[in-house]
Amino acid sequence: MNLYLNQIGAIIWKDFITELKTRELLSAMFIFALLVILIFIFSINLSIVKASEVGPGILWVAFLFAGTIGLNRSFMLEKENACLMGLMLVPADRTTIYFGKLISNFIFLSIMELFILPLFMIFFDIDLLAHLGPLLMVVFLGTLGFCALGTLLSSLSSNLKTREIMLPILLYPLLIPIVIGVVRMTGQLLEGIPLLDMMKWIGLTASFDIIYIGVSIMTIDHILEE
Amino acid sequence: MESHENAMEVRKLRKAFGVLKAVDGIDFDLKRGEFLTVFGPNGAGKTTLIKILSGLTQPTSGSAKVAGFDVTEGNPKMRKEIGVISHATALYADLTPLENLMFFARMHGLAQPEDQALKVIDEVGLSQRRNDRVRTFSRGMLQRLSIARAILHDPKILFLDEPFTGLDLHASNVLKEHLKRLHDRRRTILMTTHDISCGLEMCDKVALQVQGRFAFLENIENVERDQFEAMYFDAVRDNQFIMEIGAK
Repeated sequence: MNLYLNQIGAIIWKDFITELKTRELLSAMFIFALLVILIFIFSINLSIVKASEVGPGILWVAFLFAGTIGLNRSFMLEKENACLMGLMLVPADRTTIYFGKLISNFIFLSIMELFILPLFMIFFDIDLLAHLGPLLMVVFLGTLGFCALGTLLSSLSSNLKTREIMLPILLYPLLIPIVIGVVRMTGQLLEGIPLLDMMKWIGLTASFDIIYIGVSIMTIDHILEE
Repeated sequence: MESHENAMEVRKLRKAFGVLKAVDGIDFDLKRGEFLTVFGPNGAGKTTLIKILSGLTQPTSGSAKVAGFDVTEGNPKMRKEIGVISHATALYADLTPLENLMFFARMHGLAQPEDQALKVIDEVGLSQRRNDRVRTFSRGMLQRLSIARAILHDPKILFLDEPFTGLDLHASNVLKEHLKRLHDRRRTILMTTHDISCGLEMCDKVALQVQGRFAFLENIENVERDQFEAMYFDAVRDNQFIMEIGAK
């Protein structure tokens, strides 16, 4: 078990060192998410539309689109110089590769989200601080589901010539249950509804998180081999 | 591994991609400490053979045991016993050699990752450049670092897939010296190459793979270099011709 965790830790450490040196992933995701929010800000008249009604959808569109850039980059790093082949030759269970990449994707996406949330609060003039704890919980559930499925599909699409196109085509339809859940929960939080009153949405999102992680554990071996 | 006389036992190994037979019924044994060089024209299936034997891809049929393990089982213990060097380096371009090798040492579960990484970096003569980004390295240096990655965990068996590709004469000689040293330490080596002189100079057994099959497999003592060279060049010119020689 120690070796298993150490191998996962090694993959996360390697991704962090690479990001520290290149600064490609976080900056690209942050700028993209910021641009999405700015485009919506300029295209919506907030004096007519309630910010708390359109805001959650825009926030999650920004997170998911920016996150897709991160996912594409994540496995590209492993494809360059056939590093994935090097990883597959180490005496490790292949799920260590999945969990290592999942956790580093999750951390990078969470960092980007933490920078975007205050800007979203300023641009939409919404007081997020009043609901910060529950909101972070919703962001956690949504980000985990996105990364769980996204890591699996980015490993699958990394072998394709049209990977930049294929990843969103495969990813977004399967993410619909999670997106519906987190957008509804974020909207209700902004209207002042307590998180405990949204158990069915929490249940839905958490269930899909678990399902996607389970499916990934079962299939990652075959996906990486082929 | 220690209880097995043979480091590799390959029987009727086949791998097809649709109608294309990349490996088509290969049989051979390789004893511990032996060095087999596999020659063959492009597209003969040499890389696919190495991919199967190293557990990177599954054969369509047949069997292969490496270090006593069935390659189809994907046993991590088998991966402890093998090292693979291919024309792709499997190194992270934005990391330094030390960071790359420390990463792979941790993935191999080695007790002292940094010490082990420094040791092999020194062994391949890259100590001076251990903190430079791999992206800045020449092809020859990359190939030496690739050897360091492959021998980091002290494997008993090495697979080398065209390791001389893209190297200049000096880098090629340096690599040859490294490979000789590895062979001297009783490592079992299977190498594919197009470089006749390097390939024949170092090996104990030589094979010629054409259209997925071993058209020729012989101990090096029984091989006339001129004849083999002629056969190899014929194979490159006309795969079908060498299949007929193999059939005889």
